[in-house]
Order: sequence, then C-alpha cells, then structure tokens
Amino acid sequence: MRVELTGITKRFGNVKAVDDVTLTIGEGDFFTLLGPSGCGKTTLLRMIAGFYTPDAGEIRFDGRRVNDVPPHRRETGMVFQNYALFPHLSVFDNIAYGLRARKVPRREAKSRIGAIIESVQLDGLEDRPPSKLSGGQQQRVALARALVISPQILLMDEPLSNLDAKLRVSMREEIRRLQRRLGITTIYVTHDQEEAMAVSDRIAILNRGRLEQLGEPAEIYYRPQSRFAAEFMGASNIIEMDVVGFDPDASLIAAETGGYRLHIRGERPADGRIALTVRPEWIRVVDEPAADKMNVFSGTVLSSTFLGSMVRYRVSGPGGATLAIEFHDPEAKGIRGNGEILWYHIPPDRPVVLRA
Amino acid sequence: MGRSSGIISPRTGRLCFVHRGIAVSRHFKAWNLIVALIFVILFFTVLYPILYIFKASFVHPETGALSLKSYAAFLHYPFYQRCLRNSLFVSTLGTLFALAIGIPFAFLLARYHIPGKNLLKTLGTLPLILPTFIGAEAWLILLGRNGLFAKLFKPFDIEIPSIYGWKGIVLVFALQFFPFVFLMVSSAINAIDRSLEEAAANLGSGRLRVFFTVTLPVVMPSILSGGLVVFYLCIENFGVPVLIGEDFRVLSVQAYNEFISEMGGNPSMAGALSMILLAITLSLTLLQKFWVERKNYAMTSLNPLEVKRLGPLGTLLSWLFCAGLVFIALFPFAVVMVSSITKTQGPVMYFGQFSLDNFIRAVTIAPRPIINSFFLATTATSIGIVFGVVVSYLLVRRRGAVSYLLDILVMLPLAIAGTVQGIALAATYNKGFIVLTGTWMILVLAYFVRKAPYSIKTTSSLLQQIDASIEEASINLGVPPVRSFIKVVIPVMLPGIIAGGIIMWVTTLAELSSTIVLYYGPWATMTVEIFQRIGSGDFGPASAYATILIISVLIPLFILNRISGKDIASSL
Repeated sequence: MRVELTGITKRFGNVKAVDDVTLTIGEGDFFTLLGPSGCGKTTLLRMIAGFYTPDAGEIRFDGRRVNDVPPHRRETGMVFQNYALFPHLSVFDNIAYGLRARKVPRREAKSRIGAIIESVQLDGLEDRPPSKLSGGQQQRVALARALVISPQILLMDEPLSNLDAKLRVSMREEIRRLQRRLGITTIYVTHDQEEAMAVSDRIAILNRGRLEQLGEPAEIYYRPQSRFAAEFMGASNIIEMDVVGFDPDASLIAAETGGYRLHIRGERPADGRIALTVRPEWIRVVDEPAADKMNVFSGTVLSSTFLGSMVRYRVSGPGGATLAIEFHDPEAKGIRGNGEILWYHIPPDRPVVLRA
Repeated sequence: MGRSSGIISPRTGRLCFVHRGIAVSRHFKAWNLIVALIFVILFFTVLYPILYIFKASFVHPETGALSLKSYAAFLHYPFYQRCLRNSLFVSTLGTLFALAIGIPFAFLLARYHIPGKNLLKTLGTLPLILPTFIGAEAWLILLGRNGLFAKLFKPFDIEIPSIYGWKGIVLVFALQFFPFVFLMVSSAINAIDRSLEEAAANLGSGRLRVFFTVTLPVVMPSILSGGLVVFYLCIENFGVPVLIGEDFRVLSVQAYNEFISEMGGNPSMAGALSMILLAITLSLTLLQKFWVERKNYAMTSLNPLEVKRLGPLGTLLSWLFCAGLVFIALFPFAVVMVSSITKTQGPVMYFGQFSLDNFIRAVTIAPRPIINSFFLATTATSIGIVFGVVVSYLLVRRRGAVSYLLDILVMLPLAIAGTVQGIALAATYNKGFIVLTGTWMILVLAYFVRKAPYSIKTTSSLLQQIDASIEEASINLGVPPVRSFIKVVIPVMLPGIIAGGIIMWVTTLAELSSTIVLYYGPWATMTVEIFQRIGSGDFGPASAYATILIISVLIPLFILNRISGKDIASSL
C-alpha cells in the first residue's frame, strides 16, 4: 500500500511536534523515519496508526484519505517500542488476538498462527506467558502479532531499542528479510543511523518536526544536504570557509580559511561563506608534499587510534579545526605517532557543501 | 484490501465509511460525562458534608444565627481545651512508643539472622489489620476493674496497674500501630544498596559511623513518614479512648458526645470540635504529602544489604525482643478468642470453663449484626470497586486538567477522622432534599466514601505499572476502544481490583468510628454490637462477635496473600 502524507502538522500545546511534513512511501517500501528524540518521528508514526489526529494535512492510504478512520479500522500492524504484549495472554493468544477480533475461522487462524510462529522461530513457546520470554523472544511475538493479521502497512516504533547490541543486529536483518519476503509496506522509526541504513529502502531525516532530508541510505550518507543531516549521519569533519573564487567552466569553488585554500567541485555558492563536510574515509594520506597538486595539506597528528582494519587520526586542520582521517590497511605504511606531520589530500569532488 | 474509496471493516468484511470526528467526539463526550458524574458524586459525598458541618460550626446552637459561640465556648471552657491537649498528648506518646519499638523491630529483622524471621514478619504486621477497639477490649478483660488480673491478684492484696486513662490508650496505640513503622522502615532498609554502606566504609567510616552518617539518614524520611501515619491514626482513633479513656476525654470522643446530645438541634459544638480535629488531620496529611514524601530517596537496590549473623547472645536477645513484641501485640486477640469460648454470666467470666454459648447466642438469637455487617460491607465494596476502576482509569490514563482535583477529592476522606466524617454525613443528610440519616444507605455511603480510596490506590498503582501501549496494541489489532478496555485493561487490572476489594471489604467490616455515629437500631453492625456489649460489661458475647469479626477479616486476607503473594498491610 502506498502512503502519502501531505502538509502534516501536529501541535502539543505550543510545541509543533510535526511541522508541515510531506512525503510519499511507495508500495512495499521499507521506509525509515530517522531523527533524535523529540524530532517528531514517533508522533508521525502514531498519526499514521491513527492514535493522533493531525491538526493540518492529509494522510492517504492508496490515495484514500484516512484522517477520519479510527485506529482500529486502519489495518496497520504496529510493533511498539516496549512490545506491548498482553501480560495476561500466552504467546499463542497474543498472536491470535487480532485474528479473533476479525472473526477469522478457528482453523484458518490456527494455520496462520502456526505459519507466522514458524517464520519468527517461536516454535515450542506457544503456551508461555510473555513474562517468561527473553527480550528477543518478546520482540518476535510482537512482530508475529502485528504480521499475522496481514496488515497493509507495518509500523515499527524503535522496535530494537530494548535489545542488546548483538541481538539488535541479528533482529534487524531478520526483520528486513521478513519484510522483503512479505513485500509489506513498512514504516520504521529509529534514532540509530546505522540501523536505518542497514534496513531501509529510503530514509527521512526529521529535525524538530520538519523533514530535513529524504533519500536512499547511500544518498543520505554521501550527500547530506544540511549541516544537521551531516552531523546526524555521523560526519565529523565540518569546516566553514570563505568563498574566494568560482570557475564556472570547471564548476570549481575556491574557498579559504586560516591560510588553507580548498577547491571543491560544485555549483556557484549563493553565499560568501560556506560549510562543507568531508568524510574521514575520503581523505587520502599521501607520502610527501606535492605543492603543485590541488588540495594537499599537512597537519600535526593530535591522536591516532588503531582500530584493526584502519587507523583513525585526528589532525590539526584548516582554520584551527580538527580533521578526522581514516587510513585503511595501515600496516604497509606504518602508523604515525602524536606530533608527527601528516600529509593528506582532499579530492575536490568529495567535499559536500551543506545548507546552513 | 480493495481499491475502493472506503475502508473494509476488518471484522465484518463490509465496506464502511466511518467519520472519525464523530466517533472521537462521542467517545470524548462519554468520558466527559463520566468525569462530571464522578465529580457530582464526590461533591455530595465528600465535599458538601464537610462544608455543611463547617457552616454548622458557625451557627448559634439555639438561635440558628451565624455566630462564633461554639468556638468561643472552646476557648472559654478549659474542658474542651483539655480534650485537644489530651488528644495531642496520647497521640504523641503513642507515636513515640510505636517508633521506639517499630524501628528496632524493623532493623533487627532486616539486618540480622533471627530464628523464625519470616513468621515474625508476618505476625508483626497483623496488629494493624485487627480492630483497635478489640485490642482495647482484651486489655479490659485482662487489666480492667473486674478483669482477670484483678481477680488473680486480689487474694494477695497486690495493686495491679490501671489500664484506664491515658496509659492504657498509649499502650494499645503503640502495640497496634508499630507495624506501620516496621513496614515503612523495613522497606526503606531493603531499598538500600549494599554499595552505599560499602562506599562509606571504603571512605574510612567505622560501622557505627556508617550507621549514623549513611544508613540512618537514608532511612529517616521513612521513619518520619511512619511517625506521621501513626500520629494520624492515634488522633483520629475513637474506639480505644472511648472504651478505656473513661474521664480522660479526647477530641474524637467529645465530638461524638456533643453530636449525640445535640442531635435534633444544631450540631454546632460537635461541628466546631470536628473542624479542629479536621484541621489537625488535614495538616498531617499535607505535611506527609508535601514534605516527607519529597524527602524520600528513590533507590533501586541491586544488591540488598548483607544479612549478618549475631553472636549467640545477640541472637537470643534480638529474638527475645522481636518474638516478645509480637507476642504482646497479638496476645490481646488470643485473649478475646479464648474469652469467646469461656463460660460467662453477665460480666463474670469463668476462665478455665469452656462453653460455646456465646457463639450459639450470637448466631441463633442475635444474628442481625453479623448479617448487617456482611451486607453493608459487601454493598459498599461492590460500589467501591466499580467506582475505583473508573476513577483509577481516569487518574492514570486520562490525565487532564481536572485530574489533580479528582485525585485530591478522592483521597480526601483518608485525611478525615471517621467520627468527623460520620458527624458530617449524619448532619448533612438529616433533613433537606435528601434524607438518608436513619437509613442503612447512609452507612453504605460512609463506607464507600471512607474505604473507596483503598480500592483506588491498589487499582491505580497496578494500572500505573501497565504500559498504556497494550491498550493501543489492542486497538491497532482491530478492537474498538471500549472493547479493548474490557478485553485487555480489565483482565490485567484484575489482581489489583480483587486486592483493593478485599482490603475495602475487611476494613469496612472493622469500621467503628463513623458507624457508631450513623447506625440506627435495626442496622447495628458487629462493631456496634461489640462496642455496646463491652460498654455494658458483657465481655462474653462481645468476644464472640469480636472473634467472628477477627476471623472474617483474617480469612480473606490470608486467601489474598496466598493467591497474589501480596503484602496486604502495604496497601493500607
């Protein structure tokens, strides 16, 4: 099912929890709402589920306006952050709950429950009460309960946040596999950017109720549009520079700060001052100064951390900033110690100019 | 799911067009209506009677005009002021003694290996669910003018200490109320993490220093809290001072006396005394709520304090203290039970000669009080349970602008002495558009008002632990809101509802202070019957009813303890 949100706004008192959000989620998409706590992602999800009514804007399922459809008629399956398993019902009865509400014949219900229990690997736990399950098992019950009613849309509100790190990774892979198999439109809320990239077809980054950026994981990772998106996606190198020239033929911006001159591929900047980000893994460590080459600089190593597959340097950079540089497979060239000089090259097509 | 413009109902499979606005507003209106109804009920049962008696206290008893005569009388006659002083005096002493025995009892049981610890803990909480006036009765049987000891020691010409007056009152208060101190202090001790004391020791404090600089200060808010609760229970108590106070008059008893003699006239003096008592109990409650509770340290103990082993002498002494205390506190109830099967003739009791006459008479000739008690308690509890579920749901799940007010109004009766509430209700519904005084309904009303807070407390504390999302999960799975409430919330709340109901039922059964003001002839309850029989020295029949009452209270609590493992006393 396709979900369209148009101009959705929701206020709580004076706070705009969701502010004029417009986006479309395609049929079968795994769509993630990503942002820090309080960014409005859960509010948005709850409006799609029908627990909140938007103050303005429209929610459409396959083109049909659902603003006025009560939550129990929306045919969404929701997985809650704390699972919300019914403590007085067994695993089987928890999963059967939605089918019974729909008056699904007993035999059909039984086979559907059997199938879903198998696919989430809960075999043998049917008669247990939720309190006798591990966190991962509870998570699977919540998932099975939401999926067994064959919902048109699967809604997941930080479903993995109560699990430990290892389980989180294996569960997210399982969720993704299940979602692919069922082809169900899924809206997923998380504050974990790595988790979002791992599972999603598309990601919407939300900030203070507003849509910050929308795109595929790689696009968001490599081409953050705003400073917020860049920082939220874990970009550590953000440098502010003054624009000193622009070559329209080569689409090359020349920018300066603190005696460093950097050339960046891009459009003519609107402003005299720009912020840009360059990912640590994009910066190349070079052997020796090559003054004729563009964008080669030197800096003092402030710290170096050996992480096995790579070494991460913190190097004094332009304008007093500190640059993070990741250097892969460091064995051959050795690891520089603190205080040593490191030469590095920033390829001009790599830095991304950010919206303020 | 088709491509139609409607939504296919998940239950019927039919297409339906639901306008959420209507559904929501209808739902919304239903809840508003319920809130309004609850406020109306609370206004007429809680607030209005108190306001009525407040007004009555400013009315001249003869002329009916507004006047300060009753308050002037209070200030003019030393007798009234003595009542206030007496109340404060016995309450202060009762509290101090309860603390003096409750605190060591809690510390010893929480921190040291003591033989029979679990039994001692259970028995140690019993006195607080047993009616205080039955405790008073037992001491009268033992130490009263015609009591057992008087008779035993008479031949030897030994003067036994008098139980009458303030000494007896303080004794009964301390022995019956120390469990509150014990419960609060031991739960505070159990919340202390081992690392806290270890940190203090690690920083260089010796054992005594650790106790006085860390352990005691951390437990102090609970000690204060327990002290306030005990003080409140002492000052609002009616049964003990009325039975063994004799000339030693306290406020609650004098308010009752004034009211009985003023009945028919204006309850002006009774009103004034009630207002003074109300001012005290309200201040205690406010103090508890806004000062002591704030000082409580919220801790989650991962590793509870180590339970230490004392030397043989220490263990023996600790055991003697704890077991001795439990024995002395429960002994009176054993005395009453033995008295009930002892041959009696009027006030004369033939200890050593057993007979079931008292029971046979109670059950066959005069069973009315028993039936009345059970009927009234069951009726009030049934209403209280329904009310409790609705109010708990409103308080926990539908917090709105009026929740705070609702919370205050609902819990207010817990800050009002039973006598005062009885007087207020009797005076309010004595005449006018609703006349209830002199009917059994006013007893139900009083019980409902006074005991429903227990039901609300247990139910809402359970509801608080249940995440609101299970309700949403049910709605999300296609079950409409009201049915979701019935199918998911009620079953999960059930243990709390049952526990609250049982607590409400047993405390109603044991209620004396408002019953004595409100009952009339045919609707005398067991408590009234016991009270009157003691008054006329009829200890045998009184003990039979008291035994039936004790058993009726203990059995449900025992069952509840078995099925839920719940510490009943903690809900009181």
